Amino acid sequence: MRRLRRRTHDVPELNTAALPDLIFTVLFFFMIVTHMRDVERKVEYQVPQGERIERLAHKSSVCYIYIGKPFGAPDDSVRIQLNNRLATVDDIAAFVRAERSKMSPDDASRMTVSIKADRQTPMGVINDVKRALRDVHALNISYSATNEQQTKKK
Amino acid sequence: MFRHRHSSETPSLNTASTADISFMLLIFFLVVSSMDTDKGMRRQLPPPPQQEEQTLDIARSHVLQVTLDANDQVTCNGDTVTLATLAAKVGQFAAADPEQNVVAVETDRRAHYDAYFHMQQTIIGAYRQAGLPPRISEVPRNEAQEGGGRP
Repeated sequence: MRRLRRRTHDVPELNTAALPDLIFTVLFFFMIVTHMRDVERKVEYQVPQGERIERLAHKSSVCYIYIGKPFGAPDDSVRIQLNNRLATVDDIAAFVRAERSKMSPDDASRMTVSIKADRQTPMGVINDVKRALRDVHALNISYSATNEQQTKKK
Repeated sequence: MFRHRHSSETPSLNTASTADISFMLLIFFLVVSSMDTDKGMRRQLPPPPQQEEQTLDIARSHVLQVTLDANDQVTCNGDTVTLATLAAKVGQFAAADPEQNVVAVETDRRAHYDAYFHMQQTIIGAYRQAGLPPRISEVPRNEAQEGGGRP
């Protein structure tokens, strides 16, 4: 009896000296992976669902065009958002040039424009955007979409 | 002599709170980070029209005319089709002449993006199933004057 009690007293303390290192490692991982959202959404949109979609690699060479209904606007209005403001089709050329000049030459050469458009957007708007992109030689585009299976699970 | 003894008695830094600090930072980055990777259907636009535009004549039989009208109805060479039939038709058409085939897609300005997206997915899927690179030529219907116009 006495012996048992003595043994429990002898349990050594856990060494937590490595704990900060561990956490720092995880921290650095998230610091590198994280991608600060610098755009505040001004339009409401729900991207279509698809099966044959690919992941967009090279986040640094992607710029986004949002198309949807501005918050609080009537249902049938459609606007384009570039960066943090609502814009028109005519602003796209300047936007693409500005984005391209911000990128490194490597990224600029493989620049991809991701179009995040609402499902109910009339094709006229999309066609106008595409024509504007074509005119400024931004030829790689991606129609943003979600995976069909994924959304079914939710 | 006195000073030396003093320095040797410097207490070690208490690092107990380092873990807490890094935990705070970790939680911040956990909350802020957006792991969602953007996914989408990649397409390549044709280069802008040049001054000396050369028109490419393609025999009518090598073109499959697919139209998306204002009511999101898909028409293939004049017949109204569902997406499943469209896939079958495109597959057959591509397999018939793997060298020379073009799917000419024409969309109405009032058609919806969702319908267009699914049509594109169907065509690309049919091409992939046939093991061929997709060849899609887009012809925006020229009715900017009468249609909704710019937003």
